[in-house]
Amino acid sequence: MNRNTLIEELKKVTSDLISQAAEFKKLSIKELNYRASADSWSILECLEHLNRYGDFYLVEIEKRMLAAPVDKEADQFRPGRLGNYFTDMIRPKEGVVKKMKSPKNMNPLHSELGPTVIDRFLKQQQRMLQLLDQAGTVNLTKTKTAISISNLIKLRLGDTFRFVIYHNQRHLLQAGKVRKNLREMEGEKV
Amino acid sequence: MTPAEKITKDLILAMSGQGKTLDVERNEFIIQAGTIERHIYWIESGAVRAFYLTELEEHTIRLGYKGSLITSLSSFLKDIPSELYLQAIRKTRLKALSKTEFLKFIGDDKERLRQYNAMLEDLLVQQLEREIDLLTYSPVERLQRVLKRSPHLFQEVPAKYIASYLRMSPETLSRIQKS
Repeated sequence: MNRNTLIEELKKVTSDLISQAAEFKKLSIKELNYRASADSWSILECLEHLNRYGDFYLVEIEKRMLAAPVDKEADQFRPGRLGNYFTDMIRPKEGVVKKMKSPKNMNPLHSELGPTVIDRFLKQQQRMLQLLDQAGTVNLTKTKTAISISNLIKLRLGDTFRFVIYHNQRHLLQAGKVRKNLREMEGEKV
Repeated sequence: MTPAEKITKDLILAMSGQGKTLDVERNEFIIQAGTIERHIYWIESGAVRAFYLTELEEHTIRLGYKGSLITSLSSFLKDIPSELYLQAIRKTRLKALSKTEFLKFIGDDKERLRQYNAMLEDLLVQQLEREIDLLTYSPVERLQRVLKRSPHLFQEVPAKYIASYLRMSPETLSRIQKS
């Protein structure tokens, strides 16, 4: 796949996520902490989950990109088998997600969260856009990054970008559903 | 009493009298980044921290407790959106003076303005002190410098915020406290 096409697609997704998350800033803290059931996530928990992944991946991606040589020639990206597998697993398909279980340290259920969670998410996505801009001169196939769940596996940088950004998309979709649910409930009260 | 101490004392007196009382719960925000700070606060009881948020963490840059004056300074002075958050560390009672009231207070007479200049000089010196705090290489020394200025800090503020203020991990702080 063409490097620039991929980068543009991922930038578009990220920009959309920024607008969606910015909308959440209009909600009250009570609404942001609302959960549909005892073991489901609130809007803030969805975002906090992504922030925790961002803490790992933004740092890791930047580190690997800084260490990689400038490569303007490599204008094609070849996804790896593992990269395709992970991306396919995490990515929402036509607005539908298959439920998965989060690793314990990435599960923010019932942690005390405030409005800074949204601001931090927005800052992380601005950072992501900067990294995507810089990715235009890096070999996305040959540059490798570590992943958060195992020391044994490395992913191609292009695959890491895909995985992280579609993972963001997945949980923004989830947060959007919580909001919709909330609206319907509040509608009933009136 | 130095001119700076005099005006600080008078200001606090004015605030405890005519200031608007503001009760905030633990973890509640007095101001969030992005909004403009229109007030300066005197902490009657409780404790407050000012922090800067990056994409990875919160950096506590100021701590205030009973008796301290606190505000998001650049926002208050320049009427620009605050880069800082002010958050109550525990249940806190503040006395707030609006910027208009504040300006009226310091511009009251020539003597006040002279004292205000002295206060700003003190602030500048403190700011340099703080810069040196952060440049000080050794964590032990960073802690000692701050404790010299604020001996009661640990009675007022949880260690995790002091650690962030001192630019070290909570683990490092706990280790050097024991030694």
